[in-house]
Amino acid sequence: MDRRKALTSIAQLSALGVAASTNAAILNHKSQRPPGSPDSGLPAPISKGGYVYFSAGEAKEVGAIFDRLIPADELGMSASDAGCVVYTDRQLAGPFGKAASVYRLGPIKDGTPQQGPQMKQTPAKRYRVGLVGLDTYCRQQFGGKPFSALNEDQQVDILTKMEAGKLSFAGTDGQEFFALLLQNVQEGYLSDPIYGGNKDMVGWKMIGFPGARYDYRPYVMKKGQPLNLEPVSLFNGAS
Amino acid sequence: MIMKKIIWLVVLVVVIVAGAMLYRGGNVSTDNVADDTIKAADASPVSDAAAIKRGAYVAVAADCVACHNAPGSSEAFAGGYGLKTPFGVITSTNITPDRETGIGNWTERDFFRAVRHGKSPHGLLYPAMPYNAYVKLSDQDMHDLWAYMRTVKPVSKTNAPDQLGFPYNIRLMMAGWNMLFFDNSPFKSSEDQSADWNRGAYLVDGAGHCASCHTPKNGLGGDITSEYLQGYTLQGWFAPEIAGNPHVGLGNWSNQDIAGYLKTGSNTKAVASGPMAEAVENSTQHMTDADLAAIATYLKSVKGSNDAAPQPLAETDAQMSHGKQLYEVNCSACHNVQGQGLEGMVTAFAGNPAIQSHGHGSLIQTVLKGGRAAITDSNPTGAGMPSFAWKLSDADIADVLTYVRNSWGNAAGPINADEVKSSRQSLDVRQPMAVPN
Repeated sequence: MDRRKALTSIAQLSALGVAASTNAAILNHKSQRPPGSPDSGLPAPISKGGYVYFSAGEAKEVGAIFDRLIPADELGMSASDAGCVVYTDRQLAGPFGKAASVYRLGPIKDGTPQQGPQMKQTPAKRYRVGLVGLDTYCRQQFGGKPFSALNEDQQVDILTKMEAGKLSFAGTDGQEFFALLLQNVQEGYLSDPIYGGNKDMVGWKMIGFPGARYDYRPYVMKKGQPLNLEPVSLFNGAS
Repeated sequence: MIMKKIIWLVVLVVVIVAGAMLYRGGNVSTDNVADDTIKAADASPVSDAAAIKRGAYVAVAADCVACHNAPGSSEAFAGGYGLKTPFGVITSTNITPDRETGIGNWTERDFFRAVRHGKSPHGLLYPAMPYNAYVKLSDQDMHDLWAYMRTVKPVSKTNAPDQLGFPYNIRLMMAGWNMLFFDNSPFKSSEDQSADWNRGAYLVDGAGHCASCHTPKNGLGGDITSEYLQGYTLQGWFAPEIAGNPHVGLGNWSNQDIAGYLKTGSNTKAVASGPMAEAVENSTQHMTDADLAAIATYLKSVKGSNDAAPQPLAETDAQMSHGKQLYEVNCSACHNVQGQGLEGMVTAFAGNPAIQSHGHGSLIQTVLKGGRAAITDSNPTGAGMPSFAWKLSDADIADVLTYVRNSWGNAAGPINADEVKSSRQSLDVRQPMAVPN
């Protein structure tokens, strides 16, 4: 780096420092009070209404897959009853679906396993393409039936093969698609109800998680004892 | 004929008495000790640094800047702060020595009359300017204050008009107000009390003008003197009793509790927030330890209200059990498991008289809007409380406050959801978040 470049970059860094410091404010008796809670800092509950990203057909297939992964049983309701399809729909319509926090410009190369997912497609696109692939496969193999119309054994067989890396579709790695589906159904079942899933806090009741409480000091010493804490959502009115 | 004479006699007596009272209320002869020739903005004939310094201290003790400064403005004493009274908005004036827009053309006597008697060269002042307290200021303090005010940087800023409806916009009406409610008498020290007590009384009733917020007012804004310092609601905030009731006043506070609170903004029992935080920040934290100790001595001697502690609500009460759950989830992390707060940061609830007072305005307002602890030189943290308006419904807030008022030894009446609802409306605070089920 020559002298001119060095000076320029120092100037740029200083300018950045100044820009950053204009956002900070010293708290003193002249500060605006009370600090309150700006709306931008609050959790954002999902929007009302029907599906935003999924078509009705896609939603039906995703529900069938999710309910095979988390079926209704003695521990709780099924994934679709708990709102996991709605949860995933809103996530795919939002920043997660757009891979907003992921670097996706080139160069596109196959990464090593240690480098984590190396996909060009966004999660939303992976669902769209993956579901078409799965649907085509099922209709070819089972006399025109979609995944949702198959019996339990057939569905389990397909998902098991995908998970084991033995079944892939055009444009979709079956193992990676399975991992995405499993991740999202778990998130939906266990995340705060304001995001659409975990209806009646079924997931939290199942694992004994008491929810969004600020403070556990009264319980810290009660090791190994049932606490019987009713879980709480980020928002009281949600359930 | 005789009857008519009697009636005339009665009328005559009434007129004479009213005239005498009017004269007494309007009597400004005590201000004649002040010079009436030199104007504020004139070149200063003497510059007495010690007097200016003492005057700056009087200005701090009187907290002039609390009102005579627009929020966020760096132009001290230039006015522009809108005081929301029950009668309308009264905007504070420019008291910098600017000739056109401030008090630059006032003489010292004009200044004395305005501060101690509510009579400015432009007409009668409204008692939002607490001349009914400042009338107690000594000649010496007034001379010093004048010396200081003349050194303030003149700011050219035209006064904003008040927004008062008829008939309150008639300033002459204040002559009648003064006749009824203005105790036009200088401070009189009490022979059978200590010098410390007398200094405290002088500061509390004079410069400190504590009664302006802490003494209940009648329908015309006059002090109800029989309930001196026993708590009052102003601008939606309840200024709690600072007299001797142990339950809702300072009866259980030590002198050190009081002095420490005024110096640092908090003690083990409470943390100043809202308008009192401003009073601590602008005024009391800058007062000498001796003066704060004197204030404590005096306040501890003031007889409190007779409000006895009621029976606390039962834990099985529906509001209480719901409130308990809400408290644990939303409040306990900072206000602590047993409502003991965090010393110097987060106010305690247990045993806090302000929490158990009959006025709920401050409690509801703080939950709805959030709050911030006083920020002082000795305790600059200024811990903040977030707003819970987005999260808690009117009933939730009523229940959790009812729980706080009736737990850990506290006892006070329940709070009704309707009260929270109307506060939410009047404070223009958002409704709770809508979450689709």
